[in-house]
Order: sequence, then structure tokens, then C-alpha cells
Amino acid sequence: MKRRRSTVIALSALLAASFAPFVSSTSAFAAEPNQVSNLSVNQADGFATVAWTPVEGATDYQIERTAVDAANAPSGNPTIVGVWRPNRQINNEKPTFADSGFNPGDRFEWRVRARIGTAEQPYSTPVFGATREPWGDLNTAGQNLRTQWETTHAAQFTTDVNEYAYTAAVDEGSDRVRVVEIGRTVLGRPINMFVIGYPTPPATAAAVAATSPLAVNCNVHGNEPGDREGCLIMARQLAFSNDARTLDLLKGTTVLIVPTINGDGRAANTRGNSTGQDLNRDYSLIRQPETAAYVRMLRDYRPVAGYDGHEYGNSQAGDLPMLPPRHQNVPQQIFDESLDMIENHMYVEGAQDGWWACPYGCANGSGVGLSEETILRNTLGLKNTVNSLLELRSSGGATRPDEGNTANNRRRKTFSALWTFNQFMDYHHAQLGDIKKARGEAIEFQVGNTGRLVFRGSRVVPLHPAPHPGEAGPREDLPTPDMILDNAPCAYKLTEAQYNGARTDGPGDVGATVAERIAAHGWKVVKVADGYIVPLAQPERGLIPLLLDAQAEEEWVDGERVYPTFTGKHNGPLTISGFACLAGATVNGPVNVRPGATLVATNTTISGPVNAANSAGVFLGDSTVRGPLQVANTNGPVTVIGTKVSGPVNLANNTGGAAPYVAGNSVSGPLSCSGNSPAPTNLEVRNSVNGPKTGQCATL
Amino acid sequence: MWTVSPRRAALALTAGAALLVTAGCTGSAEGNAEASVQGPLCDALPSGTEPGNPTALATEPVDSALSWITVLTTFEGAMRASDLLPELKGKPGITVLAPSDDAFAAKFSGENLDQMMIKDKDTLRTLLRAHVVDRSLSLRDLLDAGSVTTLDGRTVQVTAADSMARIGTEARTVCADYRIANGRIHVINHVLGNLRTTVGEGADPGH
Repeated sequence: MKRRRSTVIALSALLAASFAPFVSSTSAFAAEPNQVSNLSVNQADGFATVAWTPVEGATDYQIERTAVDAANAPSGNPTIVGVWRPNRQINNEKPTFADSGFNPGDRFEWRVRARIGTAEQPYSTPVFGATREPWGDLNTAGQNLRTQWETTHAAQFTTDVNEYAYTAAVDEGSDRVRVVEIGRTVLGRPINMFVIGYPTPPATAAAVAATSPLAVNCNVHGNEPGDREGCLIMARQLAFSNDARTLDLLKGTTVLIVPTINGDGRAANTRGNSTGQDLNRDYSLIRQPETAAYVRMLRDYRPVAGYDGHEYGNSQAGDLPMLPPRHQNVPQQIFDESLDMIENHMYVEGAQDGWWACPYGCANGSGVGLSEETILRNTLGLKNTVNSLLELRSSGGATRPDEGNTANNRRRKTFSALWTFNQFMDYHHAQLGDIKKARGEAIEFQVGNTGRLVFRGSRVVPLHPAPHPGEAGPREDLPTPDMILDNAPCAYKLTEAQYNGARTDGPGDVGATVAERIAAHGWKVVKVADGYIVPLAQPERGLIPLLLDAQAEEEWVDGERVYPTFTGKHNGPLTISGFACLAGATVNGPVNVRPGATLVATNTTISGPVNAANSAGVFLGDSTVRGPLQVANTNGPVTVIGTKVSGPVNLANNTGGAAPYVAGNSVSGPLSCSGNSPAPTNLEVRNSVNGPKTGQCATL
Repeated sequence: MWTVSPRRAALALTAGAALLVTAGCTGSAEGNAEASVQGPLCDALPSGTEPGNPTALATEPVDSALSWITVLTTFEGAMRASDLLPELKGKPGITVLAPSDDAFAAKFSGENLDQMMIKDKDTLRTLLRAHVVDRSLSLRDLLDAGSVTTLDGRTVQVTAADSMARIGTEARTVCADYRIANGRIHVINHVLGNLRTTVGEGADPGH
């Protein structure tokens, strides 16, 4: 069916046409007044970026698509598939629209027209093109794998059993992939993680951690399946593509993808897991095995950046609502870097490719998802991980009018997720230096245990300048006075019952003990005569009180606040027996930690040697030691972070705790470690050592 | 407990998908005047030779058929959670009045739905029984009957509404006359039964 074009061309337009810019179609028509010109369509995986030159005075634009055959004759009806409005991109000089929802591989004609008010202007001349087939050469093993979602043309989501089959096939077919089961759901479904690196991923979790991995969490709410289908396609691309960008990305890091943390919820199509728990309100508490598995993975693999995929029902939101970790205990550097990822990468690339990324809540804001530390976005931030939430707008809304067809709607969502996760990998690759710097500073800030603690309350996200998304942003959500603790304790002390006692807040009214959950988070704990002490002088200082303090909103237990035991100046030797917490103190003399004693010191200057032998625990954070530091035979945790030592540092035969942390220190002298079990780690925050590094600390 | 047999699953996937795609090629050569699907929503659902098209579903059992009609993910999940499917599959003839995902979203809050699916299965079963009739009725049959009694024992009136059927006072068929192995599925736009409307209550589903 041919459409008639207006043949009325005003004289002024004829004159103007001699200066008309180059048009991307083959038409010989001169431009009509207010006709969109320079239409181009660039194909990508599952979407096509439609771009054009703006028409002066245009209120919005309509993007029309028609199915055509190989000879470009229409084989379907022209349909308005998109409406471009100024608030969808940060610049309006180069309007773009990511058209998506079509069946990948089909051929189409596109046209765009402006509207001035409600008055429709002439359509552009058309552009024809074939959309990209689903990724992967059908004649190459591995590349030719397809998910159930792909083979059914989005009529069905990939079932659990088919996901496992596909995962196994990707694993088997590619040396770059190792699939690890990080845990099981309540009903026993495997929670698989793709570990992807080139030419092959490092063999252990610690070795993967050393590559500063990134992590994508694809499906937490069972009834939000769109991101997961994007992840499964991306896993195939990473496993089998030989294009330069993919190889470059995978040489530089390890990509961690968890397609389905909530397999039971996905199978049942429920938001929660099989007990009804919303898992995205459980990442701090880890009452459920699914979230506990993810938290253990974070502890062991230490991703430096993350994305968490969801779908969101506000039909006025942008295509891709995003939000940084806002809880006020999240270190400023992590918040800033996460916001940078969203505003300076996602918004910028979105404007380029036609996807409307926006601040979560977008047009109508949202009353939820602010500072709850139970939400993975915030839990990750509190764990010093740059990250963002990702929502896929559930329905087409006014800007994607052709999504009454469910398959169209599902494809747009999944391919927008695929775009986002690919952009995330690009950001991580390009900004790894900044990400690592932010993380190192965040860890050093946290171990210093300075400043107030907030139980609930968000950092403000300043409104991005108009046109995008100037009209709305996330709610302020500042902490109320009862949510603020200005005088942070040094540590929390738990009783035997609190630490090891049976709990009922898990599936079937049986919950893991606090001891098990603290171990899952990777916190260091000192066993003392009458209980267990969790010092705040460690990397997750901002999260600990949220789970151990009575003033918190959703704590496990009400631990006893333990305040610093010494904050002033001490001249002469200081002998530590029992529990000592030095905060902002000055010691002019040697410090000797006696067997069975515990030393916690933050922002403290010690002019003299520090010696701990057979102690119960040593925590040095953000401090200065002018003299040798010797920690040996500790029957408990050891952490030395962000500390300046002028003298040799020697850690020997420390066992009975998890791996000693030796991170972000500045040492003038040798750093030597031997006989520590497990071996010390620098948490990928290098020490600056002016001297030899030997033994187990040789590479820290 | 879960055991995984990837190869069997992969084969099943390929075979199943192939069946449901190629079955669409038989067209309307089936002989007598069988009505194809009809209604304002049908264009938005798989059609022609697309996976899940109505012709391909004609010989499928009800559980499989429901999994191919793309607007029925809530209803299909509820049916599986209710354990009613074996009973329905065994009946000689059924008519399923299946509310779309939009219909469920307009009726129940997310929390209420999860609650029914996981904890309150008796309520779920009663709700679902209000959507099934114990014999196979086409759209024409429904209109001719003037009323139907559903498996929960309630009787609802059926009246004409343009070319569709109005079930009770509010619900209308929006894509009617899916044939399945032992009867028919009609997609409707409102949830039937007498449960309280809970949409908007409970936690914001964001995040």
C-alpha cells in the first residue's frame, strides 16, 4: 500500500532546499517546511537507533515503522512505535530514539515527523533497513545457542530447566566461562553464577577478586523477568564473541553474572521467594538462603561495581530508571562514583543510542527504595561497591505506543536491559582507575570510624539540569533526628545467646545464627571472655550498626554499644590487657598487647613500637605508628588498614580469624608476613611500601 | 529436591518449540466451520505462524496452552500454584475464562497476590474455580446459553456486548475461542468471583 506524499512545496521551501543538508535516503525531494531531515537508523542488538535533525519549534516527534519485504514493499501496516519528547535526553540538539520491540531480524521502513503542538508536520523521507538477527552465527557452535525466550519470539520466558540447560551449554562450550553454584534456593533450585574472563577466568574466588570484577544481578523479583533474559543473551555474547571490544573487556577483568537468584519466585511468578519474602528487602538481614548466598559471593569475589535488575510499573517513568546507593552511611566516594556512572555515562550514552535513562521514580517520584539498607543497591554501597539499581519500565506508556502486543513489550524491556549491562561493562572498563580509587578511599574512610552514624536517611540526589530530567527527581528523605547517632561507638558486644542463639526469622521459622550471618558478610569478630565484640574499625563500618544497634530500623539483635576506652594523650608505655579501644588518641611510647587482649585503634598516633603476641584481636585503622609493628600468633582477627607505619611491619602466625587485612597502608620499612592462616589480603587496595615486601605479603 | 538433566531439557525445548511453530502452517484446512480467535486483543497476541499462535494450541493440554497465551502469566502461575491443573486436564470438556495480567493487576495488590499464591491456596483455588466451566463452550455457545455455572458453584449471566460476551456485570471477553485439547480458553478483562479488590494497598512494588 503506497502512501501519498504531499506534493505541495512552498516557494520558500524550494529556495531553502538548495541549502538543505544531506538527506540519508535516496529521495530527490526538496525538504518541505518542518519536515524532519537527515533521518538515520543504526542497528544494534534488539534495537535500532533512529536519529534525525531537529525541526525548529517541534514539541515532540513521532517515529513510525512499517514492516517491508526484501524489495522494500510494505508487508504490514505503518505503526507509530515511538514518541520522542525533550525530557528523554540530556541534549536536544541531536534527537535519538531507540526503537525496540520488533522481532530481531525483520526488515522495516522508518519515518519520523515532528509535531508542533498537536499539528502533525510532514514525515521525513523513509529509511529502510534489516534489523539485526539474534546474536550468534547459526553455523558456529556456542554462538548458535538460543534461549527459550528467543526461540519462542518472547512468547515464553526461559524456564528454570531450560535456563540450566542453556547455562550448561555455555559453560561447556567456552573456555572463558566457568559456572559456579553460589547457593541454593529454599526449594533447592541452584543459584548459578557465570564467571567469565579471557582467555579463561582465574581459578579461585580470591584470584577473581584480584581482577576487580563487576557483578550483574539479573532477577530478584520473580515477576520481573525482563533483565534475566538480557543477561542470558549477554552471557552467550561474552562467551563466544570474538570482536575486539569483548576480548578487550574480558582481558581486563572478570564478569560475574547471576541470572536467577530467586529461581523459586521466577518459576511461580511471585515477587517474593517461596516463603513470600521480598528478597530485595533482605540483603542486610540475610534471613533467606538466596540473599545469604549472594552476600557470601560478594565477600569472596569482591566485585568493585554492580548492577541490580528489576522492572517497575510507573508508566510515566523513563525507559530505564536508575538510582545510586543513597544511604548516608555509604561513603561519599561510592555515592559520587555511582552517580557519575549514571549521569555521566548512562545519560550520555542514552542520549547517543536513544534510550531514556532517568532518575528512579522519574516523573512521579517514588516513596520507596530510598535508604533501606535491606535493598541491594544500598547494601552494595555500604560494602564499598559502586553500583546502581536498574528498572525496566513495565508498560510502553505514552512514548512507546505499540506495546499492547506483549511480545513487543517484553523485547523492548529485555534489549534495554542488555544495552544497560553492556554500557555498565564499558563504564567499568573505562573508569576502573577511578572506581578502584573511590573504593580504596571508601574502605579507608570506613575503618577510621569517624563521623556520625545514620540508621536510615538518604543523600540528596541533586536535580539534573533540564531538559532531562529536570522536572522530577528522587525524594529527599533526609534522616530524622531519631535516626542519627552523632557519637559512634567503637564496637558492639554481643552475648553468647545473641551471637550463637537459635533464630526463627528464616524459612520454616528457622533462621541462621547471627554468627553465621556475620561470617557471611565477612565481618571480623573478637571472642572475649563474656561475649563477642564486633569493632567498627573495618570496611563495613556503616552496615554493622544497622544490624546490631537497638536504634536501627531492622536489626538482628540489640548489641551493647562499646565506647572508646581511651581518647587522650598517654606518655610512656601502654600495656593492653582486656579490651582497649583507642580513638583519636596519642601514645608517646610503646604499645604492648598482652596475650588474650584486644587492641582497636583508630585515628591514633603511637610513637613507639606496637607489639601484639597471642592477642585476641588487633584492629588498626587510619592510624600512625612511629616504630615497628609486630603482630604474631593472634588467636583472632587482624586488620591493619589505612595506617602509616615508619618501621618494619611483621605479621606472623596469625590464625583463628579469617584472612588478616593489610590494605591501603603506607609503610617505610619492610613488610613481611609468614605463617598466617589464611594468608593476608589487601582487599585489592594496595599498600605503599618503601622497602621489601616478603612472604605472604609480597604482592600486597 | 532438584535434579538437573540438561540434555533432556534441551531436547524437549527444541522439539516443543518446533512443534508449536510448524503446527501453525496447517491453516484453516480442518474442514468444518471452526471459528478462529476473535476479539480486540487477539492482534496483540501470537498469531499466524508465530510461536503460540491459536492453531498451534488447538491440540495442547490446558497447562501448556495457558503458558503460550502471553497475557496470562498471572493466571497461569496461579493455576500451577493451585494444583488444579491435573483435575482440569482430566475433564472431558472445559471452558476457561482467563483474566489477563492487566485484569489481575487492576484487582489485587502485589502483596495480596503473592499471599494467595504462597500461603492461602484455598482462597486461590476458589478464585480459580470461579473461572472454569465444566464443559466446552465456544463464544457462540456462551452467548446462546445466557448463563453459566462455574466450578465454584456460582452462576453468572452471559450477555452480548458488541461481538464479544459480557460475563457477569463487568468482565468481557477480549480474545475468545482459543481451542485447546479438551475445550476452550477465552481471555477476559476482569477477574470474576467475589474476592475483595485490594489494588493499591500494601507496599509500593518499586525496587
